[in-house]
Amino acid sequence: MATIAPDLTPNTKTSGNDSSDVLKLGRPFRYIVLTLVGLFFIVPIVSSARFSFLGNHNSFTISAYTQLFGTAQFWSTLFLSVKVGVGTVFLTLALLIPTVVWVHVRLPKLRRVFEAISLLPLVVPSVVVTLGVITSFRGLPNIIYGTPVILSLEYVVLALPFSYRALDSSVQSIDLKTLVEAGQSLGAGWIKLLRFVLLPNIRGGIIGASILTFAFCLGEFAVASLLSFTTFPVFLVQVGQLAASQAVALSLIALLFTWIPLAVITLVFSQRRASRSTVVADE
Amino acid sequence: MISSKTSAKGGRYSRSGLPVRFENVARNFKDVAALKSFNLSADPGELIVLLGPSGCGKTTALRVLAGLEMPDSGRVIIGDHDVTSLPSAKRNIGMVFQSYSLFPNMTARENVEFGLRVRGQSQNDRSSRSGELLDLVGLKSQSDRYPHQLSGGQQQRVALARALAVQPEVLVLDEPLSALDAKVRSSLRDEIRRIQLELGITTFFVTHDQEEALAIADRIAVMHQGQLEQLDTPLAVYTNPATEFVAEFVGTVNRLPGRIIDASHVDVENVGLVEYKSDSTFAAGSEVEVLVRPESIGIREGNDESCRILAKSFLGSTIKITLLDRTDRLISVAIPTSDAGLVEGVEAVNLYSRGQALLVKGR
Repeated sequence: MATIAPDLTPNTKTSGNDSSDVLKLGRPFRYIVLTLVGLFFIVPIVSSARFSFLGNHNSFTISAYTQLFGTAQFWSTLFLSVKVGVGTVFLTLALLIPTVVWVHVRLPKLRRVFEAISLLPLVVPSVVVTLGVITSFRGLPNIIYGTPVILSLEYVVLALPFSYRALDSSVQSIDLKTLVEAGQSLGAGWIKLLRFVLLPNIRGGIIGASILTFAFCLGEFAVASLLSFTTFPVFLVQVGQLAASQAVALSLIALLFTWIPLAVITLVFSQRRASRSTVVADE
Repeated sequence: MISSKTSAKGGRYSRSGLPVRFENVARNFKDVAALKSFNLSADPGELIVLLGPSGCGKTTALRVLAGLEMPDSGRVIIGDHDVTSLPSAKRNIGMVFQSYSLFPNMTARENVEFGLRVRGQSQNDRSSRSGELLDLVGLKSQSDRYPHQLSGGQQQRVALARALAVQPEVLVLDEPLSALDAKVRSSLRDEIRRIQLELGITTFFVTHDQEEALAIADRIAVMHQGQLEQLDTPLAVYTNPATEFVAEFVGTVNRLPGRIIDASHVDVENVGLVEYKSDSTFAAGSEVEVLVRPESIGIREGNDESCRILAKSFLGSTIKITLLDRTDRLISVAIPTSDAGLVEGVEAVNLYSRGQALLVKGR
């Protein structure tokens, strides 16, 4: 012991100095990094906002917004996008929650395979996916094929890399198999298990998957345009070709539309977490 | 359901357990036979410990009983009912898992009430029942805490209360203590036994810890390679093992060479004359292998040809001594601490027999 101790002391000392050096350097350094990153995100938004309020001879005007709000197409395309988004979210959850649960409980060995499949839309060009989906559903009645429902079907597939991961990782974080077995041994069937045990415990994943999918639907242009649906992003592009300030105003509105629900949900959730973990076990 | 129903006062728990029977149960996982024609029958209200090394099939047997695993063949019978094809949710079996089985989104009380909730009981009935059970496991004051706010031992108590809340016909515990530290483990073990005796519920307890099994069981079912090796009281399993495997798995044994003298005596190398009982008969003079417990060997002052003391470890009430004989064979001996003087400052000793041989087998 005595011979080892002197050898060790200088080492621990230097490593201690190193970490405190980093800490000393860290505080201003951190603020610099944060400021730079903040500027990178905020400057374009602020400039866009400024531009959208700019009238003739640099005067301030809200005419870009009033004109937009007065356009029937603004409301109809927004409504269409929201409708497609909500439909996609519901379809995604209805398909993926049972899938993810089943894979974890019964086919744990295939988890990697399913994960790989879920990533395919990132690898395969979206035009190919789009045509694939259209071809697959060709036989379906016109009520699906000729309406925005087909767009939802497309988006379920295209948003898969985000939605599947969000759900999969939240299921991964709980011991699903044991919880299911515990519930079954207490007399619960699958519906009650889903309602009282599974859904509450993967709520974070469900909300994450929903937000990501919804945001994806509200911003997707290529597929909607290819299938000749005038969704909100398609409208945005059309407006941009005629009136630049309106297009910028429009994109700011779209930004708010995805930000506000996201912020609200995040806030609500972090508060719930905090209130739950205030009591600490004392033995 | 045969267990007594909750009445307004008294009769809180089921008083009489049900018999449980495994009949030729087999279960294969791909090429591996987890259970091979497994037979076991438990008396009403009995606590059976399934004991064995990992992979012996004890957990599979438990899961088959709980309905979480379907047997490939054979039957499981609880009371008069063949439950083999009944799904887990319909069996009315209380189950406690190794760990992390509490629902994280529910408080301790809500966890205990879960089984009653899915059975559609009123909030009033539920809370009085969960109050009773949390009281039974000594956690009434913690009932509004979430699982992550409870210690491992407390979580397992809640899991026990939750399993008992539905008045199960059989209670099964799958290594419920193995994730806990030693002190909590032994106190919770005693408490599980107390509650089990109080309720008189037929219970299956899986463990790989032989000390735990000896301490808690009415009978121990020692399992090996998917089959039952021996089903007997802890004392009988320890002192009268049916097979070599049981002798080696429960407690420690020495394997020593010997020569048969007559139908009840064998001359064991280094130890001398040892008494034995055996179903098979050996001719006098035949060479055999004798299995002897460390505490069945005594120590006395040695001479030149005796065993050398290699190591001594003090275990509290006993001292474990490892010896090396002339042929470099290791012999383990346990002597009471009161005899510590015998090995104080001594390098070599002689051995003598202080009890029966466990098993004698031909060489």
